Amino acid sequence: MTDWKAIARARGLEIPEAELDRVAKPLETLEAVFRPLVADLPAALEPATGICPLEEAE
Amino acid sequence: MTLREAAAALRARSVSAVELATQALASIAGLEPQLNAFITVTADAALERARQADCELAAGAGGSSGPDPLLGIPVAVKDLFATRGVRTTCGSKVYENFVPDYDAAVVERLQAAGAVIVGKLNMHELAYGITSANPHFGPVRNPWNLEHSPGGSSGGSGAAVASGMVFAAMGSDTGGSIRIPASFCGTVGIKPTYGRVSRYGALPLSWSHDHMGPLARTVRDAAVVLEAIAGHDVRDDTSSRRPVESYVPAEGVSIRGMAIGVPANWFFERLDPEVEAAVRGALQLAASLGAEIKPLRLPDIEALNAVARVILLAEASAQAEPHLAERDRFGADVLALFDQGRLLAATDYIHAQRLRRRLRSEFDRLWDQVDCLAVPSTPNLAPRIGDRTVLLGGLEEDIRLASTRLVRGINALGYPALSMPCGVSPGPGRAGLPVGLQLIGPPFSEALILRAAAALEDAGLRIPPCPLFQ
Repeated sequence: MTDWKAIARARGLEIPEAELDRVAKPLETLEAVFRPLVADLPAALEPATGICPLEEAE
Repeated sequence: MTLREAAAALRARSVSAVELATQALASIAGLEPQLNAFITVTADAALERARQADCELAAGAGGSSGPDPLLGIPVAVKDLFATRGVRTTCGSKVYENFVPDYDAAVVERLQAAGAVIVGKLNMHELAYGITSANPHFGPVRNPWNLEHSPGGSSGGSGAAVASGMVFAAMGSDTGGSIRIPASFCGTVGIKPTYGRVSRYGALPLSWSHDHMGPLARTVRDAAVVLEAIAGHDVRDDTSSRRPVESYVPAEGVSIRGMAIGVPANWFFERLDPEVEAAVRGALQLAASLGAEIKPLRLPDIEALNAVARVILLAEASAQAEPHLAERDRFGADVLALFDQGRLLAATDYIHAQRLRRRLRSEFDRLWDQVDCLAVPSTPNLAPRIGDRTVLLGGLEEDIRLASTRLVRGINALGYPALSMPCGVSPGPGRAGLPVGLQLIGPPFSEALILRAAAALEDAGLRIPPCPLFQ
């Protein structure tokens, strides 16, 4: 599991220590769902551009 | 009186636009101390526009199916839509003095259709949350029960429409922010297909998830407004060139033979029992009208929601980053989300976009089986203001994550989705809180889901006005 508090400190984001739990805990929960999804992505799967009209993405 | 009835009354000259605007402003003056739905009321401009509308009506213009279907109709817009010469705060201290010199595309189109904009609506700070408990402009309150939240982020839009201050209001939906207040306030709200309504001039939260759409008291009223604001706009790169259909369902419209999918997974898990009962009742009504109710299993929605959260966190933080050094200008909940987004890696965002493509492909195959999905809009009723968690199915959930659980993923897919009232809670201690039914369709199926909703509404799927309704 990623140490989000350490990352916040290392990046110098100036998040007060008292607020770090509010930041780290939701990310830990999200990571628990998200990280396994990434584990087996095929190399050929490209990102959705996301920002384009849907009919052009079809 | 509905929006369409008001349009007919204006055309028949049985009421004037000035009278409607005056009534709306009086209603706002009377209810604002309780609801706090507005950040700015533009009374003088509204009355001036109403006087112009009366002149145009006298010359034969107006009518809900004509070129100016909203002529003389009082509406309001969420305070993230830029309005020329009128402060546009986005519910934030960052923009508290921002006075645009341009109008958002949606505002332009409302004005071109003849609408009388009476003000700018309160909202969750920067549209980044679902309670509309705004730390800078005060909390919006639910007109069904003032101790409860109207939902968000378009909470002022939901409260203003449900209480009768205006006939319709504009909202935005990045992770449910039209459908959640529609559900909690007992209004109709539609998030159109991504690209159907221009985002130009709407302060962004997440570029690839932001959708603009109306809230109104009836399905056909929402359709009238959607038809007025939809269409291509060269100033929005994501705007679709597809022609706008006629969205307003005909009288006596039928859903006989329509295949309505009801997911066996995710959407009916951990629901408030009163939500489940009301939505199941709506499904029975659809079946009685001849719709084919088809149970099915959906692809991995939990994965879709996680993907949507990663994309939203990253895009929102990138958008807000220039302002984040001044931490005291943000509410604590919004600031925590921005901090979370700044900690994600670039690879997380790219992976989320890769997963989004795969999930979109999987979800698109649903439309080979059914015409639309019918599910709850939210698993919970409107929470009390200040509540941080909700108990659902024996599990205590964060109120934001619970309230977005059934709506968030649809933003990543870009599908159109509508929330309409399907019941009112009889439960002790929270009697009278509305329940929302969500209809989701394939891209550019707005006409279809509005038709399904209108058929249900015509068959009695509607709720009485809220106690504060004027």
